[in-house]
Amino acid sequence: MLTVILTVAFALAFPKIKIDTDPENMLREDEPIREFHRNVKRDFGIEELIVLGVVREDGIFQKDSLEKIRRITDQVLTIEGVIADDVVSLTVTNNVVARDGALHVRPPMLFVPETPEEVERLRKEVLDNPLFRDRLVSSDGRGAVIYIPIESKEIAHEVGEKIEAIYQKEQGPEKYYVGGLPVAEDTFGYEMFVQMAILAPLTGLLLMVVLFAIFRRVSLVIPPMLVAMLSVIWTMGALIGSGFTVHIMSSMIPVFLMPIAICETVHILSDFHEKLPTSPGRREALLGVFDELLKPLFFAPITTAIGFADLALADIPPVRVFGLFIAFGIVVAWLLSMTFLPAAMMLIRERKPITRKETGSRILAKLGQLSLGKSMSVTVAAAVLLAVAVYGISLLVVNDNPVKWFKEQHPIRVADRELNKLIGGTYISYLVLEGETEDDIKRPEVMGYIEGLQRYLEGDPLVGKTTSVADVAKRINYVLHDEDKKYEVLPEDKNTIGQYLFLFQMSSAPDELDNLADYSFKKANIWVQLKSGDNRDMTSVVKSVEDYVKARPLPEGLKMQWSGLPYLNITWQGLMVTGMLKATVGTWWVVFALMILQFRSFWWGTVGMLPLAFSVIFIYGLIGFMGKEYDMPIAVCSTLALGLGDDFAIHFIERFRHRFRETRDLSQAMHSTMGGEPALAIFRNALVIGLGFTPLVLATLTPYVTVGLFFGSLAFFAGVVTLAFLPALIGTFRKVLLK
Amino acid sequence: MRRFLILIFVLLTVAVLLSPASASAQERPSAEAVVAAAYRVSHYSGNDMRARVLMRLISKGGGERIREMIMLRLDREDGGEQKYFLYFLQPGDVRDMTFMVWKHPQRDDERWLFIPAIKLVRRIAANDKRSSFVGSDFSYEDVSGREVEEDDHTFVREETRNGRPVFVIRSVPKDDKSSDFSYRLAWIDKENSVLWQEEYYDKRSQLYRVFTADEVKQVEGQWTAVKRTMKNVQNGHRTEVTFVEMDYNVGLDDSLFSERYLQNPPARWIR
Repeated sequence: MLTVILTVAFALAFPKIKIDTDPENMLREDEPIREFHRNVKRDFGIEELIVLGVVREDGIFQKDSLEKIRRITDQVLTIEGVIADDVVSLTVTNNVVARDGALHVRPPMLFVPETPEEVERLRKEVLDNPLFRDRLVSSDGRGAVIYIPIESKEIAHEVGEKIEAIYQKEQGPEKYYVGGLPVAEDTFGYEMFVQMAILAPLTGLLLMVVLFAIFRRVSLVIPPMLVAMLSVIWTMGALIGSGFTVHIMSSMIPVFLMPIAICETVHILSDFHEKLPTSPGRREALLGVFDELLKPLFFAPITTAIGFADLALADIPPVRVFGLFIAFGIVVAWLLSMTFLPAAMMLIRERKPITRKETGSRILAKLGQLSLGKSMSVTVAAAVLLAVAVYGISLLVVNDNPVKWFKEQHPIRVADRELNKLIGGTYISYLVLEGETEDDIKRPEVMGYIEGLQRYLEGDPLVGKTTSVADVAKRINYVLHDEDKKYEVLPEDKNTIGQYLFLFQMSSAPDELDNLADYSFKKANIWVQLKSGDNRDMTSVVKSVEDYVKARPLPEGLKMQWSGLPYLNITWQGLMVTGMLKATVGTWWVVFALMILQFRSFWWGTVGMLPLAFSVIFIYGLIGFMGKEYDMPIAVCSTLALGLGDDFAIHFIERFRHRFRETRDLSQAMHSTMGGEPALAIFRNALVIGLGFTPLVLATLTPYVTVGLFFGSLAFFAGVVTLAFLPALIGTFRKVLLK
Repeated sequence: MRRFLILIFVLLTVAVLLSPASASAQERPSAEAVVAAAYRVSHYSGNDMRARVLMRLISKGGGERIREMIMLRLDREDGGEQKYFLYFLQPGDVRDMTFMVWKHPQRDDERWLFIPAIKLVRRIAANDKRSSFVGSDFSYEDVSGREVEEDDHTFVREETRNGRPVFVIRSVPKDDKSSDFSYRLAWIDKENSVLWQEEYYDKRSQLYRVFTADEVKQVEGQWTAVKRTMKNVQNGHRTEVTFVEMDYNVGLDDSLFSERYLQNPPARWIR
């Protein structure tokens, strides 16, 4: 009854759910790089951008396509949450051109051209202007792009859907693509909801089926499922109720908790199954189970819980929340296994009593004998495998890209590919040069440096396009001299540069230059558009700029600093890799210490750590060999190994030692462990987890796929290591272990 | 009972007759006339005008750009042709830059700019009165006025603004394409026709620009907003304009507004 009340109480918190998919929040709010990013956004009036591409294979410069661009832009301006004044499109963004001796400042397509000659004139005008080419129109004339600034990242998905509704009203050969990091990140949040709603129950269902296949009794399936579900509801309720946002990491809590919770119950049920036929009644059988299992059932979850709680010391906010609430969930699951589970098992009245005594698996017994018999060779073989795996780990490539959190065929991935083929890149980084006093960046040598750096950057195939205040100065020079190519260069003195920039400001909207220079002209902002959102690629661009600056030092008094979402992403990736590694290693030490404590033996503690350590090293080695990149989901998974690896080991060792104390005979104790219930329960757990999480592979979001695959292989490796390798290890080191 | 009802009826009638709304309704000018009067007070006070103008462009993040200029204006006739001459004092690197606008009510304006660094006068095409005036939040139309006949004007209500009795008037463009706004609301002083506030609503009917007269005083007998602000509430950008020295009827000559003086600004007026 109490359970029911508490469940309702925790479930009541659910409607308050707040989703947060911003990878930026992997960094602490007061992280200097975030602070700088906020300043850059403020100084240069930069907003989050959605990119809409319109592509027509035989060329976008045709009257009907241009009309569509105009219609779509007009409607985009009316979407709520769009900063209409700052939308960049052929129909609203000013171009400065010289015509018949006069300067014209107006959008290139203020009116849709009527005749083929007018269309051609428009085409020439925009492709001729470096501020438009590869930014607003592709240089091959296949497509045009509209940049849509929005009030906040959180509305990106919603605005994206409204944009889609607008272009879907149009007919014709054009194709439309919506991209940009904010859309990817926000859409991820939206789909996360869907995936959580579909896959978590599906996982639960499959776990149920597997449990049923093992125990062949509904009465033995329902209670563990209830324990798993209740602990998930309690934990998520507590998390949401206490005001935390559901981050990509915490969204995985349900799928992490379920196997850990079920592991416990499978041990109880297996033992119960074994004891029931020889016991006078259910009550007696249960008492017997708890008598034997009390110690491992307490130590295994508590060790895991403390291990996860230790993540709270990590420097990554979502990891802290994740660790703490998983720990909470494990404690809940343990409490429920101890109280609610037996109660439920007592309540269920069987029509057919269980009579057949479960004897364990003969195959597993054989495996134990084999492993124990050839203990030396098995140990050596494992050591060799380990060395190979370590080599595999050295092949790991650290890389992440929020867009790659979607599968290949996902519209976001498709749009990302097409848009980056079309224009200079949808991944916009900012390279900020800061001088000492006002007007510092108007100095000709600073302008010259910026231009040189831009040409160098554009030589890098990863960089599609750069834009800076130097481009504007050049453009005005060119236009003022009647578009004479000779003048498409930077002016030579500071006053001229100042007057040209002033002319540009005078002739455009108040904030048009803001994106490129701050108000006092102390800072300049070079837009660096990358064609790929891979953190690895951003890292390489950052590195190549470092090289350039080393070879050609910055003009005196100038400082340079990167910003922008792709740069923030490599920063948190760095934290994620080193941070998660540190956190994980930290938890391992804690778990190790706890193992030593509970086995009251240093060596048994070491043995207890091995299944965990081996599985993780094997998996990471495998990932390395497969060429799969080490990304955030993979980093998160390393902590999961904790939950399973140590559970298997603790149960195996506790119960082997229990049996050994009774018989004082190694091979007999091993036989009863491997051939009896303990090994069977571990085998079943490995099976439950390995199979139970296969639905995740069907997810449309790759982090869930990764977790699913990881679960499977982890269960496999942890099971194999525990069952095939521990007997051999115990055999090899019997002198130390079995004094 | 019946007598009581009659009493109430009589009282109500008297109340209605005496209420300020019905009193002013009888003598109230048309909405169009109110807007036209405000248009003249805002844009055609005096025959000519000279002012030193301080313009502050302020971004959402607090960044600030200063422009300082001498502004000369000459009217050919009230509500008709006008000429503007701007001489920039600040920012420092654009000193000596000059800008001239010939405003034509029925057709495109003409504009010229002199760039001192290369000693070049350039004509600037002016086919859009909605574009920004010297990079500020004010448009050319805000500075030189939007013609009264371009919109339909209706009364919304009467109220008190800045301690003054005002008409609130709603203006809707006759030609939807002629403006960025779908409608605007203006708070116009009943007595001196000063425009105290104006709100522009975009095509989504969302507020996007707000004009306020922050300081109004009489200059040479003409009511003048010597301090005014235009704020773009959607992107947080605003422009504050202060008329530091302000004089009407100073005796400007039409010949000043020529290309010759663009290159050699008349020292007498720009000191």
